[in-house]
Amino acid sequence: MSLSRSPSPHPGGGWSSPGLTPGSGTSTPRGYSPSNLTPSGISWAAAKAKSDEVRGYPSFATRNSGFFSRQKHKLSARLPSFRGSGYADKDAYGRAQWSPSTGGRGILGVAGNFVRRGRGRVLAILVLVWIGYLLLWSTLVRTYRRSPLGGGRKVVIILGSNTEGGVMEWKGAREWAIERNSIWNKERYAQKWGYELEVANMLAKKRYSHEWRESWEKGDVIREAMRKYPSAEWFWWLDLNTWVMEYGTSLHNYLLNDLDSHVYRDINDYNPLNITHPLPEFYLDELGRSQEGDRDPSSLNMLLTQDCGGFNLGSFLVRRSVWTDRLLDAWWDPVMYEQMHMNWEHKEQNALEYIYQTQPWIRSSIGFLPQRMINAFPPGACGDEINPNIHYQEEDHDLVVNMAGCSFGRDCWSEIYFYRAISNRLNQNLWGSFKETLSGAYGRVFSKGVDQEDDDS
Amino acid sequence: MQFAVPPRKSPHPLPGARSSRLPLYRRKQLKTIGLFAFALLVILYLLTHLSSSSSSIATPAGTAGPVVIVTLLDREHWSESYINKIVANREDYAKRHDYTNFFATYSEYDEAVGDAPKSWATIPAVRHAMAKYPNAAYFFHLSPHALFMNPSKSLKSHILERNQLESVMLKDVPVVPPDSIIRTFAHLREKDVDFITTQDSEDLTPSSFVLKNGDFARYLLDLWFEPLFRNYNFQKAEIHGLDHIIQWHPTVLARTALVPQRALNAYSKDSRGAGPDGTYQDGDFLIRFPGCDDMEGKECAELEPYYIIWQKKLKSIRS
Repeated sequence: MSLSRSPSPHPGGGWSSPGLTPGSGTSTPRGYSPSNLTPSGISWAAAKAKSDEVRGYPSFATRNSGFFSRQKHKLSARLPSFRGSGYADKDAYGRAQWSPSTGGRGILGVAGNFVRRGRGRVLAILVLVWIGYLLLWSTLVRTYRRSPLGGGRKVVIILGSNTEGGVMEWKGAREWAIERNSIWNKERYAQKWGYELEVANMLAKKRYSHEWRESWEKGDVIREAMRKYPSAEWFWWLDLNTWVMEYGTSLHNYLLNDLDSHVYRDINDYNPLNITHPLPEFYLDELGRSQEGDRDPSSLNMLLTQDCGGFNLGSFLVRRSVWTDRLLDAWWDPVMYEQMHMNWEHKEQNALEYIYQTQPWIRSSIGFLPQRMINAFPPGACGDEINPNIHYQEEDHDLVVNMAGCSFGRDCWSEIYFYRAISNRLNQNLWGSFKETLSGAYGRVFSKGVDQEDDDS
Repeated sequence: MQFAVPPRKSPHPLPGARSSRLPLYRRKQLKTIGLFAFALLVILYLLTHLSSSSSSIATPAGTAGPVVIVTLLDREHWSESYINKIVANREDYAKRHDYTNFFATYSEYDEAVGDAPKSWATIPAVRHAMAKYPNAAYFFHLSPHALFMNPSKSLKSHILERNQLESVMLKDVPVVPPDSIIRTFAHLREKDVDFITTQDSEDLTPSSFVLKNGDFARYLLDLWFEPLFRNYNFQKAEIHGLDHIIQWHPTVLARTALVPQRALNAYSKDSRGAGPDGTYQDGDFLIRFPGCDDMEGKECAELEPYYIIWQKKLKSIRS
């Protein structure tokens, strides 16, 4: 704190930080390339290149995407019998004349008759459409959601993970199970809605230690994802210890299409940190002193929740924007870090809370969501008593459960296992109603697949 | 397999065959429908396009608006006559070009600056000007110890216009002299520039900078005024604060243009710290007296002779 020199990188001087590792004077920015917006040291650049190699080909992609391909394969393998008995009783026109003993030929005969008489063209088309529906509907829906019209590619889910295993911590069977299940969970959700899923390998964080910015790499990971998915608009960060409970809830319908009615910008609505809001400074403009920002939902660039202790970054969204670039850039600063690293116990989370308080430009673009909207807690986090604002409520179909702090004295794997079971049950019901409209065969195939997935884990 | 037997050809034309030759009225109907659909699409496109373009520009930052000149005065310590000279020079300049002056006092920002050196007040002062003149296009902060010496030259034609700025801005130079490894962008365009300043032989010079109104201005000023920077005991207070920000935060550097020192910040003769070719020469836009920054008395003697030169110049322009 008593340092009285400029931190500008001078030759031979560099960033000197009396409070921290005294010998490391080489952490000044050594070079700059416009594509990489991170000030970085030499070893950092090399390390980053290495991490890019790792991240370029996430190994889970070949391992775990097998679920859907397996299902598809099974489905097509069973198709002949499925078609023979399955679609006939759905045929509204043919049902009257149809009896099981006549089988497929009877249908054909009826259809053929219609066609021959020149009346049944429409019917034939309907039948074809129905078959197409049975076989291709889910694929079509998925293709549509992936297309620019469907908007699925507008959302990237970033899952903080460590797929390769940590260096500092020994990963046991439970850790692996958490990881495998959590990735599978997000994959399934992302695939259903056509979202992109980016599994970020947080192993890279050890490389940050020379820059003293462990756990700020969230920002770098998000930036990387922004480069990788240039057409995406929203980036949803999820910690590994989270579980998406409702596969049937699309983020757009649930939240993004109607930000205004879900978001509160005035932190006084729920203010566990007692942050002064709006700012009283007379020299600020209206926007800086505004209670509700500019009231324009399109200026909301970061959506996050607060738990009982303040901001929670286990699950948050950022929108691609100039503001977001700036936030990710201002989030970490060596001068700020040097003075605060002892106080910022939760690192980047505390840092965000801090700059939210001290820098007015940030406030107007941050929107808070009711916690259970994207970040419900299990009992045990934020107190053991169930608080309906904080803790997961099954009957309300909360979207995500975040086992926040489960690695401190609780059991992450059993919590995940617990919520996975609930989620499976909830989504099974949904599929049950599907089963009625489709066919028993389809349901059998599917439930078998789910069972198998259970066995896997 | 389903349609093994082809449908027999019937003597009547198939319903499908008819569709290729539409009756005239049907074609007309289709045409109108098509036109309507097209018009609808165009309208939809325009609507979405317009709304998206209007939402992306959050603040009205038209280049046609005036420039606000921000000056911080110390009314407690400086003599009335000294302040009057500074004010007279700036009022004259602003009147000539339809600019606005914003005079603020250091003491207004005492509370905001806190224990940090009072020169930090520059930042809330500019922020204050932004609050007061939200429609201005540019804010020009100029140290009080400076005089406009070429009154007929507008800031716009001198530096802000596209060709002018792009021709004078320093590209790919160390952003903090003499040899910072962070260099200004080589491919910067005028439309990407929100912040224009100069450097002397040692540092960037927040004593004179132009800031375009908008989100970037808020971002830069708020980040710069961060309490942790103010409390860090930078040797040169906000000057080193700016040096620091610009080297560590690429989103700031990417919107910054450096111009030659004499364009915005020519130092008086024998001043310490003037960069190469940074000393005032006759005809320059303005002159600044860096030696006055830490003056003890009620006024800075260095300013007086140039004030007289300026007055003579005014007379010669008038006659």
